[in-house]
Amino acid sequence: MKTTTSMAKIAGLLMVAGTATHAEELTISAWGGFFEETLAAEIYPGFTAETGIEVRSIAQPEDSTWMTQLMAANRAGQAPADLSLVVDEVLYRGNEVGLWAELDPANMAGTEALIDGYVKLNDAGNAYAVGALAFYTTFVTNTDYAADAPASWAELWEPQWDGKLGIVTTPNSGLIEVTAKTFFGGYEIMETREGLEEVIAKIAELKPQVSLWYRDEGQFQQSLESGELNAGLYYHDVTMLSIWDGLPVASTFPTEGGIVSDAYWVVPAASENIASAEQFLDYMSRPEVQAQMALTMGVAPIVPRDSLDLSDEDFAAVSSDIEPIRVQTHIHLREGDWLETKYQEMIAQ
Amino acid sequence: MTPARTFGPRLISGLAFGVMAVFFVIPLIFMIVVSFYQPDPMGFYKVDFVWENYAKFFSSFYYKVSWRSLYSAIFGAVLVVALAFPLVLAISDVSRKWQLFWIILLLSLMCFSEVIIGFAWLILMSESAGVPRFLEWVGLWADPRSLSPSFGAMMIGLVYLGFSIVSLILYPSVARRDRSIEEAAVTLGTPPAMVFFKVLLPTFRTSLISVTLTMFVYLLGVFVMPTMLGRPKDWTMTVIISDKALGDANLPLGAALAVVMLIVTVVVLLISALATRGRQT
Repeated sequence: MKTTTSMAKIAGLLMVAGTATHAEELTISAWGGFFEETLAAEIYPGFTAETGIEVRSIAQPEDSTWMTQLMAANRAGQAPADLSLVVDEVLYRGNEVGLWAELDPANMAGTEALIDGYVKLNDAGNAYAVGALAFYTTFVTNTDYAADAPASWAELWEPQWDGKLGIVTTPNSGLIEVTAKTFFGGYEIMETREGLEEVIAKIAELKPQVSLWYRDEGQFQQSLESGELNAGLYYHDVTMLSIWDGLPVASTFPTEGGIVSDAYWVVPAASENIASAEQFLDYMSRPEVQAQMALTMGVAPIVPRDSLDLSDEDFAAVSSDIEPIRVQTHIHLREGDWLETKYQEMIAQ
Repeated sequence: MTPARTFGPRLISGLAFGVMAVFFVIPLIFMIVVSFYQPDPMGFYKVDFVWENYAKFFSSFYYKVSWRSLYSAIFGAVLVVALAFPLVLAISDVSRKWQLFWIILLLSLMCFSEVIIGFAWLILMSESAGVPRFLEWVGLWADPRSLSPSFGAMMIGLVYLGFSIVSLILYPSVARRDRSIEEAAVTLGTPPAMVFFKVLLPTFRTSLISVTLTMFVYLLGVFVMPTMLGRPKDWTMTVIISDKALGDANLPLGAALAVVMLIVTVVVLLISALATRGRQT
């Protein structure tokens, strides 16, 4: 979800071959590009300083691609990384096929600081993943072409964009949920296939306005910053970095809310460094590390607001008090290929 | 003469067959096997033998996209060869020094990755920095709009990718051709402009057809150009297969679609082989 280059894919493939076995070194993968670079530069050194465990940081490709690679590596009894950053869809699918190692919460007391529900338990009641961070997808605009920040997601459907919108191609971008909440009064409509078809038909109304249905974030970002595109759906954190660089872009949380996605740390079952990984998860769950990630990476913390030492301004830069829109992963998993094909047909027909 | 003489070539060809088997046939067999597995949206896939992945191909959508792939690849291949052949003829007539220059240029174009080429064309065709802005500046286009994504932009990308390959395949035979036939045609009264159609095209007919077919197969598999420069309605089967296999982690469906495309490609190649066989002299 957060990779910008094919290099990351290649790096990921190469890394499948070499696994770390030394106990005092952890191989940790994260989405290639800014995420992986910032984690390696700003966050991991604190962990190494405290525990003496070296971190080898590697870039991982886009979610499903990475899952496919992890599955293949697992069959060969290998772990490309000791820890990986994944979104919930990959988390659940991996759990279903026993891809993740079980973790012992007793070794990670720090995880108690997290908001409830961020330590994931499997059917047997054992922990298999720990929340890492949350990130928002918002309504982004180029301020040279759209001076006023949009108030509602409904403005995406207005003709003012003159065919200059950029939207993600995959159905799990959150746009289905945005449409359901904005036009159909909530997520209930997504419970049936007829309802989903209605939502997709509403999204199809955007087609004349959308000039780029993107897979590659780099292409969207470059087009938005240059004014080639005027608005679209994009990551809040990366857009904030562009704003700090002085580029004419804005990221808005509409009244219906931004789209929130959770990322989790998982330990592939074939990893031999589970104890060190648990130490890492303990460290990463601390409120001060969560605050540090918010400040350096622009991601939303997953510990309660009052436990954070963040000013209101810093908090507003990475999150919002508006109730977020949440991707209904269980529906996406349940409808699987049917939904993906319907969505793809709507776009490419 | 001696056993050693014949043993050497056999060893080499045996080695080549071994490499083919390991790097081509085995992955192909694996792909065919996976195409019969049962996809599992909650997990990954289940080992099984089902036809459901193939059945999905016959929904209108995949059918339509397959046609789209075929005509984009055929159109692109014909376009590349139609542009490259005259260029190669022209190159073969210049001095050795300039021929070398052109060959090095064509070779170096092949060093760029598809992604870089795609981005370069994207910028060239953008309204903020590229050709449209230039046309506005010289007063030819009052209200410039971005030229991509469009079918034309995708074709430019495909032609760019194939151009060097086709030129370098054609160059050796074109450069070594027997020029006395062209001279004879001119002497016998063929207008120089007609020599191209009456002499050169018939002479190189076989190699032009084979290089067009090579290009067709090559362009059928291109992924970056349709996604970067094409509109969603230009996306080819390659894009859809990659979305299925990687984007949705539905390997069985992706594999089944790939097997169908492989069969379609082989059928197209067989038909064109049969169609051209009868007319060869």
